[in-house]
Amino acid sequence: MAERAKGMVIHVKTLKSNELAAARSLLVNLTLRENRSKYKRSALGWAWSLVNPLATMLVFTFVFRFVFGIEAPAGDPSGLQNFGFFLMCGLLPWNFLSAGLSSATASVVGNASLIKKVYFNRSVLPAASVLSANTNLLVELAVLSLALVVVGQFVFLYLPVAVVVIVLQMFFVLGIGLTLSALNVYFRDIEHFLSILLMLWFYATPIIYPITQVLDNPRLSAAPIRTLYLLNPMVHFVEAYRAIFYHLRMPEADTILYMFLSAAVSMALGLWIFHRVEARFAEEL
Amino acid sequence: MSEIAIQATEVSKRFRIYHERNQSIKAMVLRRRRGVYEEFWALKDISLEIPKASTYGLIGENGSGKSTLLKCFAKILVPDGGSVSSKGSISALLELGAGFHPELSGRENVFLNGAILGISSAELNRKFDEIVDFSGIERFIDTPVKNYSSGMYVRLGFSVAINVSPDILLVDEVLAVGDAEFQQRCANKFQELKSSGCTIVVVSHAMEMIKNLCDHAAWMEHGQLKAHGEAQDIIEMYLRQVAHNTGEPYVEPKPEPEPEHIAP
Repeated sequence: MAERAKGMVIHVKTLKSNELAAARSLLVNLTLRENRSKYKRSALGWAWSLVNPLATMLVFTFVFRFVFGIEAPAGDPSGLQNFGFFLMCGLLPWNFLSAGLSSATASVVGNASLIKKVYFNRSVLPAASVLSANTNLLVELAVLSLALVVVGQFVFLYLPVAVVVIVLQMFFVLGIGLTLSALNVYFRDIEHFLSILLMLWFYATPIIYPITQVLDNPRLSAAPIRTLYLLNPMVHFVEAYRAIFYHLRMPEADTILYMFLSAAVSMALGLWIFHRVEARFAEEL
Repeated sequence: MSEIAIQATEVSKRFRIYHERNQSIKAMVLRRRRGVYEEFWALKDISLEIPKASTYGLIGENGSGKSTLLKCFAKILVPDGGSVSSKGSISALLELGAGFHPELSGRENVFLNGAILGISSAELNRKFDEIVDFSGIERFIDTPVKNYSSGMYVRLGFSVAINVSPDILLVDEVLAVGDAEFQQRCANKFQELKSSGCTIVVVSHAMEMIKNLCDHAAWMEHGQLKAHGEAQDIIEMYLRQVAHNTGEPYVEPKPEPEPEHIAP
């Protein structure tokens, strides 16, 4: 065991700053690879990344607004009341989480041939998947902002806050992505488990319904249910996006604190697990 | 004493040979274990010093641990015992075009592959023309690589890997790529790298090539170092052993006769 530790120390020593620069350049290139190859040979190309959320919006608006009669709350102080916009403010960050986690989880196993043949910083693989999904989110949010401006919502006021929220969510997703991608090497169940987890998580997050439907609901007023519900970091992320884009106000201070904490915990856990097992990737794959 | 490029100190590597492998959580819980496996030492206490600017050949039969050792040098595998330390940047030619994306063009793949090998994009921009020239496929550089012939594919991969001017180059049986002309160009490139102070470690079964290229060699058998020293001597020892094992007499290799006729 001590001998092994000695070997590790020497490996860490050889990790110099130029290796960090190389990892950054690799991260950029792998992200570009995912972005470029995603819509190769499709006629609509990048437009697909907008068509998909638009189609979801139409379906969800029909089902939840018109069939179930869920009302979107009025924007405070924006005064906007529109279920489509309300939905999109939660759906876009959700799509980022869902797409980022799915592709990050598969990233290490999917690049097995590369890991067995070349040495590079392995954490770059899930990071590139998350960054690629993040690019998508940026494009979608830009289009959403334009649409909001057209209906008279000047979202640009809170753009710097939006950047902070996006960065925090990115680290939150990356931390989970690192964990899942590493575990997926040992247990291929993770990918299947993830799809169930995402389904449960989706309904536990106020995306298709306003958060008040849970918090003000007498049937769900028991303290443990409320606490459990509010433990979900995505509740706070979605609330922050809604505050910025729908209500046109600053997110609450404790929302920001909670997002910051969940990003930090997620990254710490993800890096710890990933670095513990990455040395054996080449032989386990 | 000259400088050391790679120092291996009592390197050992253990692999697990699985008889039963539980890769799902259900199987693991039911059987209460991750699998049934035997341990197998692919490398046992290898100590080796590879001097800077030398060309080092690793020889031995299949399964003797040559490639495992090379992967330890490349940091792809982490030894279970002992340590490897190296000075300078390392480029490993274990598989050509590793990480090429079939839908992307040759040009995009040069940058992607370069980044995987650890080259900055500034350096790649500078070397791009050289890389494409060397591969000899300028005309197809903007074609997706899935439309390349297998020869073109490895030529482009080889060009990227060899033009990154590493301090240490690790090569595993990949020299037999391309046509005769391309092979000649590769041989010249190796000589050029060698004279510019690059340390080259080669794993190969092509004894002629090792003899021509390498000044030092190490002979590995069953994960252990059998002998190391001057390439000529080690290769002769190895060939004698092979001849002994197969029961055929060892023939002193004769210098190749000059060809009598060369077609104009």
